[in-house]
Amino acid sequence: MPLTGTRDLSTIADSAPLLTSLDTEEWELKGAQHLQIHYELGGDREALLPPALHPSIPPTLLINVTHVPDSEVGAFTFATVRVGCRAGARPRGLLVKGYCDSAAAASVLRERWGLPLNVADVHLDPSYARATTSVTLDGATILAGELVDPQPITGADVQYMATLALARVARDGEETLLLQVDPDYTFDRAQRGRAWLTAFDAEAWNLPGASAAHPISASLTTVDMTLPRLRYLIHPDRDPLKAVERLPQPQPA
Amino acid sequence: MKFGVFFEISVPRPWGPETEYTVYQNCLEQARLADELGFDQAWAVEHHFLEEYSHCSAPEIFLTAIAMQTKQIRVGHGIVTCVPELNSPIRAAERGAVLDLVSGGRLEFGTGRSATWTELGGFGANPDETKKTWDEYVRVIPKMWTQDRFSWQGRAFSMPERSVLPKPYQKPHPPMWVAVTSVGTEIDAAERGLGSLGLSFGGVGEQAQKIAGYRKRIQSCDPVGEFVNEQVNTVSFLYCHEDDAKGITTGQRMAGTFNYLSEQTLATRQAFPTPSYLSPGLLYQLRQESTSGPEGRVPEGLTIGDPHRVAQAVARWEEAGVDRINFLLNVHEMVPQEDVLASMRLFAKEVMPQFQRDEAPEPAGATAAGGA
Repeated sequence: MPLTGTRDLSTIADSAPLLTSLDTEEWELKGAQHLQIHYELGGDREALLPPALHPSIPPTLLINVTHVPDSEVGAFTFATVRVGCRAGARPRGLLVKGYCDSAAAASVLRERWGLPLNVADVHLDPSYARATTSVTLDGATILAGELVDPQPITGADVQYMATLALARVARDGEETLLLQVDPDYTFDRAQRGRAWLTAFDAEAWNLPGASAAHPISASLTTVDMTLPRLRYLIHPDRDPLKAVERLPQPQPA
Repeated sequence: MKFGVFFEISVPRPWGPETEYTVYQNCLEQARLADELGFDQAWAVEHHFLEEYSHCSAPEIFLTAIAMQTKQIRVGHGIVTCVPELNSPIRAAERGAVLDLVSGGRLEFGTGRSATWTELGGFGANPDETKKTWDEYVRVIPKMWTQDRFSWQGRAFSMPERSVLPKPYQKPHPPMWVAVTSVGTEIDAAERGLGSLGLSFGGVGEQAQKIAGYRKRIQSCDPVGEFVNEQVNTVSFLYCHEDDAKGITTGQRMAGTFNYLSEQTLATRQAFPTPSYLSPGLLYQLRQESTSGPEGRVPEGLTIGDPHRVAQAVARWEEAGVDRINFLLNVHEMVPQEDVLASMRLFAKEVMPQFQRDEAPEPAGATAAGGA
């Protein structure tokens, strides 16, 4: 059996969203700009993951910044830093903390998908030569990075890993769970470039000991993104082969 | 139809001081028995950094060990990674020639380019370039083997005129193959007159289509070597047992574990967006198709179960146009060594004779120097 994580996520769940229902509706976000910076992860890979997840070989750090130009709560930008891993045999990214520049958007994303987002200044600034991003919390830069020398590719060349978001769920009592959020993407434009990080405060992302060890790639896309109904969740403390729970779905009319 | 064995050399955790030693010794014992039982080929992969899944990073040494303890079985590189950061083409040609010499002309030379960021990234290779460098390697290596003096100005590498030594024992050179996993690579193989070394564990129907396309295209190929190697190998799991249910259960556990381990690695496309690699889900889907049958049935072509069931699966591959099947004998050491050897013996006794009515074509044009 491949390595599994050792982290007790219940110890950091206090600030995670509390969901009283897992029956959420889709949310389509048109014309979003999405930057992904992918690094190999340094640090103790097992210490960052719960027992239900395997570190990928090698473990990775997925930095995703999404700017939504318009929505029912207005424009917003949110950033996540995830640990690339495996739920059984499936590629996933574990998210334990992220940031959004809109309190209203953060509230929707927390309450409906369990994304553990706090409010901070989040910027995404694409240009022809590069795309830069930064996240500032209480005056301190906790993330700064860029995609350098973008080259056109197609959306079919890009694969995004589904998120496992740390949340608390009230069912028969309160549980610490990981909610699978796997948006659908319709690509309008895609570019790839070199990844470069100039600031990463692991503690601010609740990933103590993690470091961005080696750049892999960066991509910038323009996409229509649909946040889906919740379909699966993971019990973080279970054996990987017994951790997945399929949620009931509405029957087709 | 001929049969071979295929070594990934997966090593389960925990890794004690004897673990890798034991796994390697088990594999060598399997190779010795394969030779005694009349298996035709022993292939070994080249993989790097793939924890538990494959610890076979120096296949040329492992294959040399096999050659030194066997008499007949051919030894196959499955595959040499044709990426400059991993292997110099000059060193690949030299090592291949030496292995062919010491084995008495038993080398099969497989080529490929790696599919994981785990490996390519570990060596600092650019995934955009691997298809191009592979193409260059397969064109220059046979020239290094056959020309007295060789020079090259290329994209992957350049070299002034030298004599690349030694030359292989087989003349004009050993049979060459391409690892076929991605859709369309079988056509790449056919266009260059190379053998198709199927590694995807795809279902029979899906592979039959590929084989038909390969057979058609190779008729008008422009061979990169001195001869056309029109042959199709596929790979499957082997667990043959008198008790059909036990054979199926054990075989499916092997296949499932293999898939599970392979998915822990980081596919190139998952990390590095590039048109040079297909969707990372494809290989997984192919393997799923071939290892998880509908409604709990054994997938067509999976060589597990009692001898009758295994023979039916082999026959299905034969109908699909496969010349050889290479068997994975164990995964993650989940089957005790004595049971692996028993499975091989039972297969050789009950199944192999049913398919020895016709000899698969010998590698066209390649003969040992001391022979024909």
